[in-house]
Amino acid sequence: MTQTGDAELARSAAAGDGDAFAELVRRHAPRVRALCAATLGGPGEAEDAAQEAFLKAHRALPRFSGEASFATWLHRIAVNHCLDVLRAAGRRRSDSLDALLEADSEALGRALSEASPAKALEDQDAVERLLSRLPPEQRLALTLRELEGLTYEEIAASMSCSLDSVKARIRRARADLAGMARHFPGADIV
Amino acid sequence: MTHEKIREMIGDWLDGELDAPARAAVSAHLDACPACDAEAARLRRLGPALFRAPVRPDPRSTEAFVSRVMARVEADSVSAWERFAARVLAPALGLALAGLVFAIAMPDPDEDAPLGVAAVSADAGSAFEVAP
Repeated sequence: MTQTGDAELARSAAAGDGDAFAELVRRHAPRVRALCAATLGGPGEAEDAAQEAFLKAHRALPRFSGEASFATWLHRIAVNHCLDVLRAAGRRRSDSLDALLEADSEALGRALSEASPAKALEDQDAVERLLSRLPPEQRLALTLRELEGLTYEEIAASMSCSLDSVKARIRRARADLAGMARHFPGADIV
Repeated sequence: MTHEKIREMIGDWLDGELDAPARAAVSAHLDACPACDAEAARLRRLGPALFRAPVRPDPRSTEAFVSRVMARVEADSVSAWERFAARVLAPALGLALAGLVFAIAMPDPDEDAPLGVAAVSADAGSAFEVAP
């Protein structure tokens, strides 16, 4: 049996078919949830953001033209929502994070300098604190590149910005993170 | 190319975003320059250190997520109707009521007629005129 395409489901959902929208959520939930989890850290906040992204998509369905694929259109909504959440979180950011900078940066320094194969930092809270030091746009661009493996052009489309902005954001994000790690023992000073 | 320029390009090189001549230039420099090569190795480790590959989601978890989203969609549709009622219907109803009260309370030009009777009579008359 042929699976109904996303565009057709989106048209049905826009006309009020709840089952059609539920099917779209089912198909695209894994990617949106992974994006929110990687971008926003804490599972509670990420889950809420993923739900909110689908809710925004549902409200915007009448404006879905089908020019881009539904996946691309939804991804753009999710990316923008993550940016909004990160910006709001940045405004609430506590100075108490600074107290942990030394330990977090040291852990990152070790991870970048080890001769063994690259592996993830064990402490997810430390990862979250390190990434939370980046401006939201830089963090999101780096996440889309490293987690989703998007090309710069795809990132530019998702973030509605220029290719040069994407390059600059990713370069700056890497430089800042590598810079944090460089100041601590265990890091290769080059 | 200078070390500084090469280091600016390492990220693009790692991401496969350079054209062929630039890619070859960076590769040649890294082969010859241990310091820049070490920097490239550090940046290559950055992604795996900070971003874990997403785990394949449990289908039950996805179904639970779908249910939560659909519950919010339904609640949102109800509240959208309530917002419409509050913003459009309630003021419209209020205006209609105010108009009715005003029409009833308005001083009658025909002072001899009991309050409101003239208006009703006029309306009744016009109704008779348009009726077939």
